[in-house]
This record gives sequence, C-alpha cells and structure tokens, in this order.
Amino acid sequence: MILNYAQPLEVSNLTSWLDTFLRSGLPNFWVLFIEFVLVGALLLAAYAIIALILIYAERKITAFFQARFGPNRVGKWGLLQSVADMIKILLKEIIRINRSDRFLFFAAPFFMIVASVLTFGAIAFGKGLHAIDFNVGVLYVSAVSSLGIIGVLLAGWSSNNKYAMIGAMRSGAQFVSYELSAGFALMTIVVLSGTMQFSEMIEKQQYCWNIFNGHISSMVAFVIYLISGHAETNRGPFDLPEAESELTAGYHTEYSGLQFGFYYLAEYLNMFIIASIATVVFLGGYLPIQVHGWDGFNQAMNYIPTYVWFFGKTGVLIFLSLWVRWSFPRLRIDQLLNLEWKYLLPINLVNILIMVILVMTGLTLTDLFPGLF
Amino acid sequence: MNSISKYFSGLFTGIKSLIYGMSVTWKELWTKKVTQQYPENRKTLVISERWRSELTMPHDENNEHACTACGICEMNCPNGTIKVTPKFIETEDGKKKKILDTYQWDLGMCTFCNLCVLTCPSDAIQFRNTFENAVFTRGKLVQQLNQEGSKLREKKKEIPPKSPEGGLKD
Amino acid sequence: MAEKIIFYILAVLMAVFSVMAVTSKRIIRSATYLLFVLLGTAGLYLLLNYNYLFAVQIAVYAGGIMVLFIMAILLTNKPGEKVRTELPVRRAIAGVTAFAGLAFCAHVIYYNINRVSELVTQSEITPQFLGHTMMGTDKYQYLLPFETISILLLACIVGAIMIARKR
Repeated sequence: MILNYAQPLEVSNLTSWLDTFLRSGLPNFWVLFIEFVLVGALLLAAYAIIALILIYAERKITAFFQARFGPNRVGKWGLLQSVADMIKILLKEIIRINRSDRFLFFAAPFFMIVASVLTFGAIAFGKGLHAIDFNVGVLYVSAVSSLGIIGVLLAGWSSNNKYAMIGAMRSGAQFVSYELSAGFALMTIVVLSGTMQFSEMIEKQQYCWNIFNGHISSMVAFVIYLISGHAETNRGPFDLPEAESELTAGYHTEYSGLQFGFYYLAEYLNMFIIASIATVVFLGGYLPIQVHGWDGFNQAMNYIPTYVWFFGKTGVLIFLSLWVRWSFPRLRIDQLLNLEWKYLLPINLVNILIMVILVMTGLTLTDLFPGLF
Repeated sequence: MNSISKYFSGLFTGIKSLIYGMSVTWKELWTKKVTQQYPENRKTLVISERWRSELTMPHDENNEHACTACGICEMNCPNGTIKVTPKFIETEDGKKKKILDTYQWDLGMCTFCNLCVLTCPSDAIQFRNTFENAVFTRGKLVQQLNQEGSKLREKKKEIPPKSPEGGLKD
Repeated sequence: MAEKIIFYILAVLMAVFSVMAVTSKRIIRSATYLLFVLLGTAGLYLLLNYNYLFAVQIAVYAGGIMVLFIMAILLTNKPGEKVRTELPVRRAIAGVTAFAGLAFCAHVIYYNINRVSELVTQSEITPQFLGHTMMGTDKYQYLLPFETISILLLACIVGAIMIARKR
C-alpha cells in the first residue's frame, strides 16, 4: 500500500507530531478545542488564499486566451494584483439600499459564503489534510452546496431591484436543475466504488482511477459532472444570471464592498470546489499515479507530496473550466434548461443504469484485469 | 422515428462542434500577445503612416510653404476648425497679391476627417501621425501652422513630393 | 459539556426563530426564519452523530423545500407586503389550534421521554444498511412503500404536465 513508501514531505508528519505534542501536556478537552480552532482557522485562511490565487490565475489565463498579458503592473508579473484588489474591496463602503429588506439583504451573502465554506471543509487536500469525512460525504457535499442558492434568491429579492430579481430567479432555476445532474453523476461513481465516504473512495482508486475503472460510464459521468458543476457555479457559457448585457450584474447588482466580496469569493471558490470534488471522485484525489509492479516508479511518484498531486489535478480541471468558459458563447435560458432536462438528465439516468450493469456483471477494469489495475 | 434520430444526430454534432470550438481556442491560447504596453514601448511603437492626428504645413529649407491662402480648406472644414487669415501685399510690379498671414488650426475641434487635405489645391497641408498631443490648457490646442517669416513658394519651382495622403489629382 | 453548550445554543436559536417565523409580518422573512429552524434541526442531528439524517435534512428541507418555498413566494403577487392582522375571531381560533398542537406534542414528549435514552444509544446506521432496508423485501424492509410512493410521485408529475400543457 501507499504507506510502504517513504513520504518525507508529507504534512501529516507535522500534524501527527503536533497532536502528540498537545496530548502530552493537556487534557483531552483542550487538545480537541485547540485542534478544532486551528483547523477552522487554517481552513478559512486556505479559503481566502486559494480564492486570491484563483482570481489571479483566472485573470491571467483569460488574458492568454484573448492574446493579452493580463495583470502585470502590481508586483512581478502582477502577482500582487489580487491582493491589491482584496484590500480595495475591504476598504469600500457598504452601501445601504433604500426600501430594501435590510435584514435579508445583509443575511444573504452569508448563506453563500457559509455554504461554500462548509463544502470546502469536506475536501481532502492531501494525506491527513481532510477536515470533514462523513460516511455520507457525497451526500453531505451535495446537500450543503445547495444552501448557497438561498443566498442568491434572498439577495435578488431583498435588493429591491428588478435586474437582481430576474438574475436571482434565473440562477435559482439553473441551480435547481443542474444540481440534479451533478448529484446523479456523483451517484454513478458511488455505485462504482460502493461507498459515499471520500477517504474510502480515494483509497480504492490507488491503481485505477474511477474515471478509467468504469470506462464508458465513468467518462460520461465525468463530463456531465463537469458541465453541471460549471453551470452550478454560474460561470462560463452558463453565466446568464449575471449576463452583463441584459442584467447588469444579476443578483449581486446592488452589493458593494465586503458583501460583494463574499459573492465574488464564493463564486471563485465554488469553481475550485467543483474541480476538487471531481478530482476526488473521478481522478483519485490526492493519490499519486501508481502502476502495479513498477516499484521504482511508484517510489518516485510517492516522493511528490500528496497535496501537490491534489492541487495539480484540481488545477488541470480549473484550467479546463476556464478553457470552456472562453470557448463558447453564453446560452439562452431556454437552451440552458433544454440542455439539462432533455439531454443531460436522460443521458445521466441511462448512464447510471449502465454503471450498475457494469458493476454487477464485473466489467469494470479492476474486475477485468485484476493484476494490472 | 425522425425526431429520435434528430435528437441523437443533434447531440453528436453538438459535441463535435464543441470540441472543434475548444481546439480553436486552444490554438488561440498560444498565439502571440497583441497588447501594446504604450508608455514603455515608445521606442518601438509603430504608428501607421496614414494615421491622422496632427495637421501640419510642410515648410522646405528656405522656410517656404505652398499655401496660397485661398481658404478652400476653411470652407470645407465641417467644424470650423481652420481659420485662414490672408493679408494683401504689393509686389514689385505693382500688383496687389493675397498672401497668407496666419493659418490657425484648433486641434480640440478637429475630427480628423481629412477634408481639408483632400481639397487643398496646392497640397500645402497634410496630416502627420504624431499622436501625443495632450496639453494642459485648451488654449494650447489652437496652433498656428505657418512658421514665423515664412513665405509662399514660387510657382516655377517644381511641386514638392506629395504626401502619402494623396490629393484630389490622384 | 461542550455538547450540552452546543445543544442549548441550538435549542435557543430554534425556539427563537420558530417564534419569529410565525410572528413575522413579511412572508419571505418567515420563510427565512423557518430555514434557520430547519438548519438548527440539522445541527441537532449532527450532534447526535446522525450524519445521514443531517445530510438528508439539509438536502431535502433546507436545500430543496425551502428553495421551492422561496421561489414560490417570489413568484406571488407582492411578496414584500406586510400581512394584515386578522379578525379577533380568527386569531382566537388560530390560538386554540396552536395550543392544541402544543398540548399534543407535550403529551407525546412527556410520556416518551424515558424511552429516548434507549432510542439514542443505537449505534450509527450506515448508508449501506439504509439502502438495503429501503430496497429489501424482508420484514421491516421498505421496498413496497418505496415503490408505492414512487408511483404516487409519477402520477403527480404526469398530472402536473397535464395541467401545464392544457390548451
């Protein structure tokens, strides 16, 4: 197994050392308390930092797709641009809107960010870097991420602005529709791996990632998951809730300063979350590439720490999402719902059936070639 | 049956076209960046010869220009940008002659339509591509194009090479 | 200790938001307060280590039904308007009904409070077990009710399509 190889750069060494250090001097309650606080603070810090990196990466890659340079003034290659933007957004005034429902107006961004952070916690960033690991992990993720849409709907309504309202309704319809597809695509893989727990799911993919293990069916599920995840985050060709040309900025038209920052942050982090869940479920999560029998190769791959693998795979998927975003024009609302209800959902239902047949009749790659995978 | 085959053919052609679109953007990703980083690249900046940003009146080495102060440019200017002030002098053989006193052009009013250059019968004025025309007051935008002490070029001299703008004769 | 503190926080939040949900004059605010109550319930499940129930509570109630509620409210005529105060007779009837409901719940809780400890001490139910129970045909398994409900839902969907397509 993976533990047979030396992994000198792993963070789990550090965390286990910290745990034994704390336990040696403190009662159990305080150890747990300190560790909870530490994990929470680290998650929030990671949330903010990943968002900053993502914003920078998105702007750069977008620029490259459009044969531009992107941000290149603040710092070397514009590396500090998103930090500067963050400082600007923190300093901006939070504007009160006349005749808006103030309580809901202030509460709405929190729904968005809380849903995003809760989902963020369920991601396995690396070996030993996994905060929430329920035995119903997949269900938990799809449940918690659906809270965000309430923030969008409330924001649209409480802004007292018809653009925001229409944007919110569109976003609601879109999210509810595509949530279904994303859930079914994940369920396909749950059928394949026989567990809903993310850590177990990752362990089972050591030699054969789920996307290869269930060959046809897994590939279809992967593509469907990426499309519907993309649509859920209101990005790319599916960004019609905030279609600038018709709706100014959609549901967050009236927000400014930190509240807008929340939506902005949540949007970028949702992109990351979708990519990382796809990584965990389809691409073997944080596990390095391993081949049966190639011990030297496996050893070499294991020297690369698991979090590097995780962020590498996630980065590829995020790049894919940006690539899609800058390739296709925006869909109309009826085309969007057609795509979901007339194409993705029926394909998904057939696909899940095919996956059940594959698993029952032993046609997955691990069953067909037990020595190889 | 027709609708079913239409559904599937639509699905597969859709996927094909999406992949084709992504291949196009993939190639676009590696193209050369076209951004002009202006203040830094002033040395290498290439502005097209035909770019119109400043009206000039070319003077030759004898401080002579070709403007006869006929006023056609002034008449043709849609905005009243040009103001030609003639003055009358007496030549050696006693004839009265109209020559140019001042030729004023207001950059702030000009739309760079090129009508003045096109209609000038003697090709006295032309547009140049020097585009850094920002000044601090509006008064500075009004420029006098004929130089101090310049005079009309004699007829018998050969016509100077024409500007790339071309004139009406072309 | 920590569990108790969290429980009391959740309980107070749920109680406060329940009251606010029924006393609020704006219907969309009521829906939001109700959402907080449902989330609090989910928190209680999490406190009891019922992870599956927690996820389902959030997915079905908070993520599904509340989104439907809010969307439905947004589609009504004037969602932001304050609800008018009803006539005294109606208020009296509503009060009596509410009190009856409270009395019923209190009765059930009072006579079953001793059994709670044995119900809670069950170890956590795995999703595999739940799935087998849902799809099994043995005693205490639920394939028949499950299929019956799915037929009911199918009928609902067909009916909805019929109504929507009526020319």
